[in-house]
Amino acid sequence: MSDFVEKLRAIVGDKGLITDEQGKHPYVTDWRESFVGNALAVVRPANTREVADVVRLCAAEKVSVVPQGGNTGLVGGGIPQEKGREIVLSLNRMTRITDIDPIGYTMTVEAGVILKTIQETAAAHDRLFPLSLAAEGSCSIGGNLSTNAGGVQVLHYGNARQLVLGLEVVTPQGEIWNGLRALKKDNTGYDLRDLYLGAEGTLGIITRAVLKLWPKPKDVATAWVAVPSPEAAVALLSGAHAASEDNVTSCELMGRQGIDLVLQHIPGATDPLSGRHDWYVLFEWSSTRARREGANAGGLREKMEAYLGEAMEQGLVLDATIAQNETQARALWALRENHTEASKKEGPSVKHDISVAVSKIPAFVTEGLAAMRKALPECRPVTFGHVGDGNLHFNCQAPAGWDKARFLPHAHAVNAAVYDLVVSYGGSISAEHGIGLLKVDELAHYRSKVEIDTMRTIKRALDPQNLMNPGKIVRV
Amino acid sequence: MKVLVAVKRVIDYNVKIRVKADNTGVETANVKMSMNPFDEIAVEEAIRMKEKGAATEVIAFSAGPAQCQETIRTALAMGADRGVLVQTDAELQPLAVAKLLKAVVDKEQPGLVIVGKQAIDDDSNQTGQMLAALLGWSVGTFANKLNVADGSVEVKREVDGGLENIKIKMPAVITTDLRLNEPRYASLPNIMKAKKKPIETLAPDALGVDVAPRLKTLKVEEPPKRKAGIKVKTVAELVEKLRNEAGVI
Repeated sequence: MSDFVEKLRAIVGDKGLITDEQGKHPYVTDWRESFVGNALAVVRPANTREVADVVRLCAAEKVSVVPQGGNTGLVGGGIPQEKGREIVLSLNRMTRITDIDPIGYTMTVEAGVILKTIQETAAAHDRLFPLSLAAEGSCSIGGNLSTNAGGVQVLHYGNARQLVLGLEVVTPQGEIWNGLRALKKDNTGYDLRDLYLGAEGTLGIITRAVLKLWPKPKDVATAWVAVPSPEAAVALLSGAHAASEDNVTSCELMGRQGIDLVLQHIPGATDPLSGRHDWYVLFEWSSTRARREGANAGGLREKMEAYLGEAMEQGLVLDATIAQNETQARALWALRENHTEASKKEGPSVKHDISVAVSKIPAFVTEGLAAMRKALPECRPVTFGHVGDGNLHFNCQAPAGWDKARFLPHAHAVNAAVYDLVVSYGGSISAEHGIGLLKVDELAHYRSKVEIDTMRTIKRALDPQNLMNPGKIVRV
Repeated sequence: MKVLVAVKRVIDYNVKIRVKADNTGVETANVKMSMNPFDEIAVEEAIRMKEKGAATEVIAFSAGPAQCQETIRTALAMGADRGVLVQTDAELQPLAVAKLLKAVVDKEQPGLVIVGKQAIDDDSNQTGQMLAALLGWSVGTFANKLNVADGSVEVKREVDGGLENIKIKMPAVITTDLRLNEPRYASLPNIMKAKKKPIETLAPDALGVDVAPRLKTLKVEEPPKRKAGIKVKTVAELVEKLRNEAGVI
């Protein structure tokens, strides 16, 4: 085995190789500390050629490869298993932005570029890269694409899949497929790009991508709205599309329990409204049209005020605030973005990243909360998420004072109660987090035989040795 | 007692400032504008005084172009009662603003004027002090805490190395520091009510104030870019550099 490590060293050098336990630890442990694996080594190639050389070596030596980006995933997709016959291939040294084309609205990046860097680079060129999620300061674009990440602006711009034009991928055989085509139209046979997007590194490693850019919004209005129920939230969103002239870019629903956790655990967090309410919506409208000045001064904020004012008279809104400056807008967003962090500080929880049709959300929430409480009466449901996409993080915080050991034996019953209901609503058991290690059994259980068999056929055809991120998504 | 607060329309705190290519000023086209954060604190303090019964009316003052109405509207949405806008497209320097404020103070006769200690665009930190001098009033700058009682106001001031407690006679001018309070969010019902609150628009001429700038801006430049650091190999090398290059030890 030391021979193998030396061969790796010959490819990536000392800078690209981590073999000591302490150094490997952050790469074999996930952010929530739910998964701890073992790896022969952590390999950090400097470019696509080195990635290909490492993969080819692994294919020859029959060592499995676990690709990893910023290691912010929630389902263990980038974590090696415990057996230890795997390497972690981290893309975190591949951080170059190789091209930006503001005229053609594209940017070409290496897989290890941090999402926030991409957003800021686009902004510096008066453009927008709309992918935005809580982990954006740490997650990298390769992982975002490999998991078809969602986030808070899917409603308007789509998932990661919709934000990319071309890919460069290293295949399980260590060959390089250059599909870095910045084409809007390209009907040339099977769509390989779409196959790799969302494949969680089981079919190959995304090493570079051509991303799509949008014009940068010039007018943004952000509101924090207390609503009486999820029904009201859905009705409010439904009317907002027209009232905003199709400029709703985010609509996030939050239950009071999650807000309480954020206020308790996140320093500096304050409640924007004076009263306590059961449900809240964070609304963002944005337009590329600048605010008008002069006699008819105004823009989205005035439209939003008028719309929410009417909704308040109809009882769809109980109270609200509209950010008067960017500092307030960021503070409102922080209340939403810090849910996951606050939940982690509170203690153990199980997460259900589910989606159903938007119009079915209210009924699902009612039935789902009842089902969760039936499975574990003491549980503390924490519901939040992207209501505009029909995607909720329908989570269950452990009862106060319970540790992992006491809580986890109940997790299966809670999961089954939620997922059975999701499936009966025609929904998905993983809307944006992926399958990874966490949901392999659930996927096999809830999806049809033909669907799972087709996935296995694809996996076997592209990776006959089963060396690319084995055990994730489907077992072969 | 009436309280007058001054609110300035400035480039939003979170916007990355860009200097115009011709070095005459900073880029303001299509840039988000908001209320000066220190003025928000002034508005919040005045509203709290009214809520506690120490003030009867809060008047929000601004000076500048027509868009300053929006800034006053924000103060009204937070809870101020009415607004006064001195509308002009002229460049306004602290002395001109202090004279305009004095003219409005003469008219309105407030017991207290609360202003931000400085605006985050020009960082002058002059208007409050100049106004107090023009009025011949007491002034409490960099307020961290205020307590109004029996015709005087106790001001806890943020000074170098600590806090200073002073008691000054009213009427007085107060300038706010960052820790005086945490401004509230404007609630939707208050935003709607604010639309109906009156804003009086005046011209500098009508107040008999000549706002012509007394200072001339020669040039506006970006601050020098920070140079990249270097890695040193040993502690000895670090010490050597600190001693001989940086000259700090």
